[in-house]
Formats: sequence, structure tokens, C-alpha cells
Amino acid sequence: MSDFLFFLEVLIGGLLAGSLYALVALGFVLIYKASFVFNFAQSSFVFFAALSLCGFMELGLPMWAAVPVAISLMVVVGMATERLVLRPLVGQSEETLLMATIGLAFVVEGLAQAVWGVEVRTLDLGVGHHPIEWVMDRWGMLINKFDLVAAIVAWILVAVLALVFSRTKVGRGLRAVADDNSAALSIGIPLSHIWMLVWATAGVVALVAGMLWGARNGVQFALVDLALKALPVLIIGGFTSVPGVVVAGLLVGAFESVTEFYIGPLVGGGIDAWTPYALAVVFLMFRAEGLFGEKIIRRV
Amino acid sequence: MTAPVQSPRRAFDIGAPILELESISLRFGGVQALTNISFNVLEHEVRAIIGPNGAGKSSMLNVINGVYVPQEGTIAFRGEQVKGMKPTRAARLGIARTFQNIALFRGMSVLDNIMAGRTLQSRAGFLEVALQLPRARREETANREAAEEIIEFLAIEHIRRTPVARLPYGLQKRVELGRALAANPKVLLLDEPMAGMNIEEKQDMCRFILDVNDHYGTTVVLIEHDMGVVMDLSDRVVVLDYGRKIGDGTPDEVRSNQDVINAYLGVAH
Repeated sequence: MSDFLFFLEVLIGGLLAGSLYALVALGFVLIYKASFVFNFAQSSFVFFAALSLCGFMELGLPMWAAVPVAISLMVVVGMATERLVLRPLVGQSEETLLMATIGLAFVVEGLAQAVWGVEVRTLDLGVGHHPIEWVMDRWGMLINKFDLVAAIVAWILVAVLALVFSRTKVGRGLRAVADDNSAALSIGIPLSHIWMLVWATAGVVALVAGMLWGARNGVQFALVDLALKALPVLIIGGFTSVPGVVVAGLLVGAFESVTEFYIGPLVGGGIDAWTPYALAVVFLMFRAEGLFGEKIIRRV
Repeated sequence: MTAPVQSPRRAFDIGAPILELESISLRFGGVQALTNISFNVLEHEVRAIIGPNGAGKSSMLNVINGVYVPQEGTIAFRGEQVKGMKPTRAARLGIARTFQNIALFRGMSVLDNIMAGRTLQSRAGFLEVALQLPRARREETANREAAEEIIEFLAIEHIRRTPVARLPYGLQKRVELGRALAANPKVLLLDEPMAGMNIEEKQDMCRFILDVNDHYGTTVVLIEHDMGVVMDLSDRVVVLDYGRKIGDGTPDEVRSNQDVINAYLGVAH
């Protein structure tokens, strides 16, 4: 196998993983856009959602029934978070809201493990974790079939949400609320509905991300850390930009995979745990608003 | 109170009271913003609220559309008392507004801003919209037509796709008027629609306000500093000073009211 094809294989593997980072990051962006809350608990939602899905299946529900139940659960969890945690804090500083979601993250993680237990689960979505044969035969590249399917699912979800939020009345409502609360109220956009909607959507996005990551790496506590890889994606893509996190997700996935394979061996490997954060630091130094974020202009 | 002057331009005759404010008092902590203010607004009229800085004009407007809830007093819309007015409730009753410091959705285009103003004109829920079911699509088309009509009315066709943040101030004010109009309001509250404009922009805005009133029959309540503008535009004027009402009547009556003259020109003690 040629060096180039090997590079391509590494790159594609990275891009596919990056699609999943983008999906997790999307959950953060939705909420940040609508209410300027960095929802630290989003990664806990991912863990909670995947664990609950496994839990429902262990209770005897088949997959086709467990998924809608889990979707409903996440809609409720999202709305309840908005209602019980954030609504009472309306008007507080961004830092206060962040602290509240950090607290919430611990509660959600604890609750998930208290209810469903702490053992590692496997989640089988019915897609094999083996290299796609014809790609292997033809070019000798190992492209994991599951990763490809997961990435396609992620792209579809991101595309649908991007379309809904850019082209429809719901999207206009969301962007209006993001731009100016009092003006939005004056034309009759119900702020609380938009917030609930966004939190519910973020809950469902967390479930899809949790299912894909969980089926790939096992449903376990480490999902929380994986989901936090969304953080460098957000920094690079900009906290308020849906296209931004898509591009940044792919960039982070590709960067971590390529550096791991080419630089990793020189330093003993395992550097993909921190390279995305290093890249984020570089961005913070030179382009703090991210690739597509709004320029930060603050009076000091 | 005297009957307003009927000018020949009117397509809609001035009718019954559409808004009645009765003994409104508003406090912020220890600060008395409005004290025992009563006045009404008649259907299809242009009603101005004037007064020196800090007189409580904006507070009054904010009471009407429910941003502030007064400690005392009542608001009636078309004869029916509205308890605990909220901005979204006001919007549903047909009260639209613009803001003193333009409050447009800055990241959105002119068209999107005006389309956002149509929020209450559509019924389709989230799932219908997300799945683009027939009703959602139909409503979107209807809203787009209504938005285009307003865009034409305000002569802003050429900037339809421009993000509003990039527009000059005068045009932003016009877009904000457009967004308020998109809701087909019964009552339009304008908070200093001509503040910071040059003569030409002011004249344009004056004409648009009169056209709105004449063409759609919209009742207009406006706050304005420019006396010439107020006298030309309005049927009746309320004068506030230090949160109290000191005058109410036609522009001519108000102009000759001694309290009003004192408030504006100062008085020797």
C-alpha cells in the first residue's frame, strides 16, 4: 500500500470521527445561540441518553421501541432543564449560568449511574464494525463501515437542523431570540417556547450522538470525556455557528488522526487525547472568535 | 377633551377609543416614573406623546405594550380591561412597536426581519415546519407575499437581502417600522421614530407614518422630540412632564397651554 493511500486512510478515518464531534458540538451551539448558555451538561446528556437507551433495552424493549422512548425521555430532560434550572436564572450573568450547568452535569451523570448502574454496555445498532470490503479490495484502504454509516447519520442530522434553523419560521424565531430578546417578544415570539424547543432538540441530538459513540466505543462513563472533545471544536468553529462546528469538527477529527499516526509514534503515541486542545489553543491565540464565530467586540 | 381635527386626507374616520389608560402609576423602587396618568387613543388617529427628557414617555409606551406592569391603574383595549399586560399578549392583541434604540435582529437580512414580524400570522407547529408539511409551506408563501408588499410599500426592495447591521441608521429605522407593520397591527407604537435622522430622512419617515395610517387605517401612538414633526403628524397630543400629564388635546391647544410652555421653556420662580 502506497504512502499516499495510507495517508488517505488516516485522513478519512479522522474525518469520519470528526463528523461525530461536529454532531456533539451542534448540541452546544443550539443552546448557546438561543440563550447564551454554555451548557456544560451537554456531554452528560450524551452519556445519560446512551445509558438510558441501553437500560430500556435491558428491560426488554426491542430497539425500535426503545429509541422512541429514549427520544421522548431526552425531550423531557431537555425541557425540564430549561424549566427548572435555567428559567429561574434568567437575567443572571453568563458565568452563573455556566456554573449552574456544571452542577447539572454532575447531577445528570450521578443520576444516570444511580439508575442504570456503572457497568460498561455494548450497544449494537446492527451495523458491523468491519472494514468496507470493496474499498479494501480496490485500494487496500481500511475504512470502517460503522464509522461511515455513523458519519452519514451525523451529516443528515446536521443538514436537517441547519436547514430548519436557517430557512424556516422556527429558525427565524430562534435567530431573532438570539439577536434581541425584547424585540422578539414585541413581535410575539414566545421566548419560553423557543428555549424549550432548543433544549428538547439538544436532548435529541445528545441521544443520537450517544447512540453513535456508544455503539462505537461502548456505553460507558468515558463518553463524557469524548463528548467534551466538542469543546475544541466549538472554540475553532465559533460558538454560534452551525457551519462553523461542522467544518471545525472535520478539522479536529482529521488533525487528531493525522498527528496521531505521523507524530504520535515519535513520542510514544496516544497524543490524540490532547492534540485537539492544542489546536484550540492556537486558535484562541490568533483567532479567538473561531472560524465562523461572531467577532468579539467588547468595550473594556 | 375636544374632538380631533378631521383632515381631508383621511380614508378612515377616527372612531371609538381603542386604548384607554386609566390612572396609571409606575414606580421603580423609590423612583416615581409615572403618576396617575389617564388618556385614551382613538381608533385610526395619530396620537403623540411629548415631553422633556425624563418625562416618562418611553415608560408610558412600555406600559402600553406590557414591558412594564404599572403598580396602579388599568389598561383597556377596545373597551376590555387587560390585566397584567405582557409583550407577547400585546402583540397578540395587535399592538406592535419600534424601539428608541433600534432593536432589529442584526444578524438577519431585511427580509428575514420582516418575515419574523409575521410570527403571529402563522399557526404551523415545530414538527409541521421541520417536516415542511403543506400548511407550513402555504403559510410561508403567504407570509412571504405579505412581507414583499411591505417591502414595496416602504421602498426598500433594493436591500431585501442585506443584513440589517450593514444598513445606514435611517434605513434601519424604516426596516424596524416594516417589521412592526408585518404583524398587521391595530396599534403601532413608535418610540422616537425620527431620532437622529437628517431632514430628508425625517420627511421620508413622516410620509411613511402618514401613509401607514391612511392606507392601513393603523392607529399610531408616537413619541417624538421634534415639535414641528409632532404638530404636522398628530391628531392629538399628550404632554408629560416629570411623570405627570400636563396637557392633552389638539396640537394647537397644546401649543397654547401655559403649563406646556412652562415645561418646555422653563419658568421664572
